[in-house]
Amino acid sequence: MTINPDEIILFERGWFAINITIFFTWLVMFLLTLGSWLVTRKLTSKGELSRWQNLLEVLINGINDQIREVSRQEPGPYLPFVGTLFIFIAISNVLAIVPGYTPPTSSLSTTAALAICVFIAVPVFGIIHQGVLNYLKKYLQPTIFMLPFNIIGELSRTLALAVRLYGNMMSGTIIVAILLTIIPLIFPVVMQALGLLTGLIQAYIFAVLAMVYIASASKAHQQTKEKGEI
Amino acid sequence: MIIDWYTVIFQIINFLILVFLLRYFLYGPIVRAMDRREQKIVQREEEAAARKQEAEKEAQAYRRKKEELQQQEEEIWEKAYATAEEEKRELLDEARREVDETKHRWEDAFNREKETFIFELRRRIGQQACSIARRCLQDLADSHLEALVWDLFLKKIDKLSEDGQSALQEGLAKDEHKLVLRSAFEAPDEKLEQLKLKLQEILPDFKEDLTLAAKTDPSLVCGLEVDAGGYRIAWSVGSYLEDIEEQILKELEQTAHMEHAEEVSDRGKTGN
Repeated sequence: MTINPDEIILFERGWFAINITIFFTWLVMFLLTLGSWLVTRKLTSKGELSRWQNLLEVLINGINDQIREVSRQEPGPYLPFVGTLFIFIAISNVLAIVPGYTPPTSSLSTTAALAICVFIAVPVFGIIHQGVLNYLKKYLQPTIFMLPFNIIGELSRTLALAVRLYGNMMSGTIIVAILLTIIPLIFPVVMQALGLLTGLIQAYIFAVLAMVYIASASKAHQQTKEKGEI
Repeated sequence: MIIDWYTVIFQIINFLILVFLLRYFLYGPIVRAMDRREQKIVQREEEAAARKQEAEKEAQAYRRKKEELQQQEEEIWEKAYATAEEEKRELLDEARREVDETKHRWEDAFNREKETFIFELRRRIGQQACSIARRCLQDLADSHLEALVWDLFLKKIDKLSEDGQSALQEGLAKDEHKLVLRSAFEAPDEKLEQLKLKLQEILPDFKEDLTLAAKTDPSLVCGLEVDAGGYRIAWSVGSYLEDIEEQILKELEQTAHMEHAEEVSDRGKTGN
């Protein structure tokens, strides 16, 4: 029983080591890419849709709607980043039902990596939308004294993102493990089902929060633009 | 330390790779397909709307045409009715006219027949009256009347005009000096002598060879007639009667003409 899957090393040569977090991440990546390729290589835009194409269209439409709702902007530029966050986390979590599989999201390293990606993506999208100066000015709002708090807020929410996802996923795995030792039958199945639900909810929460942060970084610009138009 | 920075860096790279892979394999194609379909749907809707509009236009055109046709049909029917009515009226008029004409013709024929009949009747009556008179005179005729007739006849020859005398001479010269005496009764010799002497008196050129032949002819109606080669000197009730008959017939014809004219004018008035 390990709390950190990073410590289980599958392959090691010098400094290069492959632990199960990286391995299962690759597995998920491979499955996603393969599935996408299989479905999208024969897309049609007329007549009957294949059910897989239909599924993917529903999924992407759903993500687009969510992005639109949260950011009140067109989802185009955000879709690849936010959508990948959601899909990756959701698939990683859902696969937890497969015996012998350890979700990469139950490693704090993975969740931290994703949080760092969001942490970097927020200013990147902000700068793309508003320019460097406008974006940096935001840290001085409403007064210059707020600068440290703004920076702390930025960092703490990144940390919260990472720890929230990790905690939920880790706890799910650990709870199942503990319950197995106490009540070995039936009850763990219920907990597994709950774990699936939690996994999807966490994926949703992570993606939506990322979108909210990114949107808040590019919204100021949007508002000034709208004012200018008025 | 739970966070393994080596794994973190690895995962960041992994995540970025995944973003690009999915962008290439998933989002791009799917979004493009959806956009294409959306465009197609919009296009199809536009096409459908255009077609619907066209169809509506066509339907309206058809409706208009149908209405026009209906109107035309009504007009044709009305015209046909009017023509039929006209025809009917004309035919009726013609029939009436024909009936009237036939009636008039028939009436005319009837009237003519009637007139002819009446005229004939009157003529017959006239003739009959004359023949009755003639028969009466024939029945009444006797020697006394005869003697009176002879006297009258001789007086007439006595008073013969010069023109008459010369005509008589010419007639005698033509017929070998033969004279024919026709009388209703047997002429007595003594009267014949008297006549001969009278003729010799007015015709001194034929004193010797004047021959007189006597014949009886009851149609003369107690009359006498001398015929000399076509020239005649005569006196008889028959000739008077003939005059009277002629007069009566003339009178009848005149009245018939007047009646006909009156009828024609009456018909003209009633006809209008």
